[in-house]
Amino acid sequence: MVDVELAEVADFLAGHAPFEALPGTVLRDLPARMTSRYHRRSTRLMTVGVDNNDLIVVRSGAIEIRDADGDLVSRGGEGTTAGSTTLVGTNPSRFDVVAIEDTLVLLLPRGVFHELSAAHPDFADHFDAERADRLRMAASSVATNAAGQAILRSSGRDLIRQAPIVTVPIDATISEAATVMTTQDSSSVLVLDGKRVAGILTDRDLRRRVVARDIDLHGPVAPVMTPDPVVAPAETAAVELLLTMVERHVHHLPLVEDGQPIGVVTSTDLMRLERVNAVHIVGDITQQRDVAGVVEMAGRVPRLVEQLVEQDVGAHDITRIVTSVGDAVERQLIALAQDELREDHGPPPRYCWMVLGSRARHEQALGSDQDHAVILADDAPDGAEEYIAALADRVVEGLEAAGYPRCEGDVMATNPRWRQRLRGWRREFRQWIHEPVPDAVLGASIFFDSRPLHGDEALHDRLAEDIATWVPQGRKFLAHLTKEALAHEPPLGFFRGFVLARAGENRATLDLKRGGVGAIVDLARVHALGAGLVSVNTRARLLAAGRVGAIDADTAASLVDALEFISHVRLAHQARQAAAGTWPDSRLRPSDLTAFEQRSLREAFHVVRGAQQTLSQRNPTQYYT
Amino acid sequence: MIGLRRSPQRRRESAAAAAPHGPLRDYLSTPFPDQGTPLAELPLLAIDVETTGLDVGRDRVIAAGWVPVDGTTIDLSGAQRRIVGMRMDVGDSATVHGITDDAIAAGAVPKEVLVEVLEALAGRVLLAHHASIEIGFLSAACQRVYGAPLVVSCVDTLALQHRVLTEGVGAPADPLPGAVRLWASRERYGLPPYRAHEPLTDALACAELYLAQMAELSLRSAKPLSLKAVQRI
Repeated sequence: MVDVELAEVADFLAGHAPFEALPGTVLRDLPARMTSRYHRRSTRLMTVGVDNNDLIVVRSGAIEIRDADGDLVSRGGEGTTAGSTTLVGTNPSRFDVVAIEDTLVLLLPRGVFHELSAAHPDFADHFDAERADRLRMAASSVATNAAGQAILRSSGRDLIRQAPIVTVPIDATISEAATVMTTQDSSSVLVLDGKRVAGILTDRDLRRRVVARDIDLHGPVAPVMTPDPVVAPAETAAVELLLTMVERHVHHLPLVEDGQPIGVVTSTDLMRLERVNAVHIVGDITQQRDVAGVVEMAGRVPRLVEQLVEQDVGAHDITRIVTSVGDAVERQLIALAQDELREDHGPPPRYCWMVLGSRARHEQALGSDQDHAVILADDAPDGAEEYIAALADRVVEGLEAAGYPRCEGDVMATNPRWRQRLRGWRREFRQWIHEPVPDAVLGASIFFDSRPLHGDEALHDRLAEDIATWVPQGRKFLAHLTKEALAHEPPLGFFRGFVLARAGENRATLDLKRGGVGAIVDLARVHALGAGLVSVNTRARLLAAGRVGAIDADTAASLVDALEFISHVRLAHQARQAAAGTWPDSRLRPSDLTAFEQRSLREAFHVVRGAQQTLSQRNPTQYYT
Repeated sequence: MIGLRRSPQRRRESAAAAAPHGPLRDYLSTPFPDQGTPLAELPLLAIDVETTGLDVGRDRVIAAGWVPVDGTTIDLSGAQRRIVGMRMDVGDSATVHGITDDAIAAGAVPKEVLVEVLEALAGRVLLAHHASIEIGFLSAACQRVYGAPLVVSCVDTLALQHRVLTEGVGAPADPLPGAVRLWASRERYGLPPYRAHEPLTDALACAELYLAQMAELSLRSAKPLSLKAVQRI
């Protein structure tokens, strides 16, 4: 009777991915196809430049993997695997694997590895998908409300379910429209041209455009309606609808499905939701008549973030809300400054105030500094620069008082270089893109994340179009951007203290910005700009770059998840700091992290690292020639 | 006294001449690894036997497990485990090794198991924790079956552990009682905990311990270690 069951080894394998996915019979026989070795601390299991033909499975102890430059790739204890790159990919090894404790390993030979991979797709997928999948689960688990009442997760469709759609045809009279609104108890009516939304008429329109102007009620509705109103797809998340209304200054938002209206969401609908303090804050900010009032309102933001984090609102939505409040603060400060300047300088020249960096990307966190610039129209009168200088002084001062520190790099409209006429900006960008000087480009990348905030948006649109056209041809420029995207390494070394409980206390702090959020932002920028895409939001950039094939779609999705997770941890940390009265930053101590966060952050940083490596390897010559 | 003892190779040769033709003689005719064999190349067979008791004369082997060690690598494909069939009750010893009378009733013929062990051991050094037990019972079995004793070249991980614990700088002359036992020794190296007293698991546990001991002793030694440096007969 043959009886060679190596129960202890089989049980061990059954407890660890990807072996746990193998059928019991395969698992039972697997140990007899392996060998085992023992490695003293600090001896090598694999060496750069040397062939490896086994999958290494840590049975006890711990290993670390380093790349050819000696930089840490990962560390792991019992159950960790290493060497798959030389089995799935090519020999010789591009990594060193070193025992960082006395380590017992099991070795699965190349032939068996491929046999298992061929017969068991789960096993094969593990080595590619493990990190992405674990991370996706982590990202979705933080954005799901445990109580099941994620109201900001509800969509427009959920909000209009009760109310029937109220419409009149385009040839209706004002009186007919008002009658329909009254009988349907609705504050608005959609005006339809066939099945298309031609316009919207609201209570406010009746008051302002009809009654106040003494318009004939039997006249047509078309002249007094708001033509071609802003609409949103039915599935838009409530928080997006909210932000659209705030940003576009509308109180009624028709929802459309396949181009046809299915209902109207009002700001009142949204305010009924529990968690929309953002609306109140933004609304209150626009009511303030002096800088002190704006400053006071801005002071509510940290508490708002704390609430949103507690309510498990996703980081993507929270940063949009923080951005939205930041926008409202900056717009109101500009408006107040313009009022002040009117006495001495008269009306403002044609200009566009643009925000840059995280604000432009709708990714503002707490503690972000100011980044803005001004595009003046080429035909602005002489002295327009002086006007903007005076305006910028007031706005920067107000923002500083409101808790947005001055930009350390002086990327602000108070800097004469960053308030130029359109032709000056075009010259500036052409130089960055076509004749890049490395240092200048590194400083300039922030300008490639820009968004018009106030003034004539056409000036910004014109510049953005030029940039999108020029960038894909700017190979040297893209090479510099690539370099920049590879400059900030994910802080994987930080996790040593967690993986190895015995390795002693790790006193260092983890920087979630540089190698985390910042690295993802840089990756998204280089992929999107390289493909001539115009989005500036990092998530939008990644997804768009994935759709056009500028980046592997799965990698893009993983980076989106990584961004969401790291941002969420960062926001929670910042909210705690704000509550404790300290200035919000992006540095965490190990004790700030739960075991789940440690694991998931480590996976997130792995995704970032993997995307950086792909970027550096995929087309090594494309951008550098 | 050591100087007067014959080398294992010489004892093997004379035992081979005296043994009857058959598996024992075949085993004894295969040379043991040379005393000068570097540990990195040394072939061993880690072996563990479960018995009905500790009296070599009266008690019997009821199960055996073994796994080859080739230099620094444990070859799990060579791992084997055999339950020996016999007509006697295992009695209270079942509480130690967990092997029941039913399992033993279905087990292999003792002689066949012995042949397999001899085949696996040929040309290899016997490796065991407290090896005198394994050697004593296997030799007694050879006496019963072939009328001649077993001669082995042997490495004992218990003796090695004693050296590991006492030879270091500032080490005690005698380790704490229990410190040289298999599971305590393994713990010292951070080796995983196993369920004890299953012969193949114990053999594997011993093999892993040997690799760890060898790594540590090699580190302490200025030159590469050979079989002679770790051997206790």
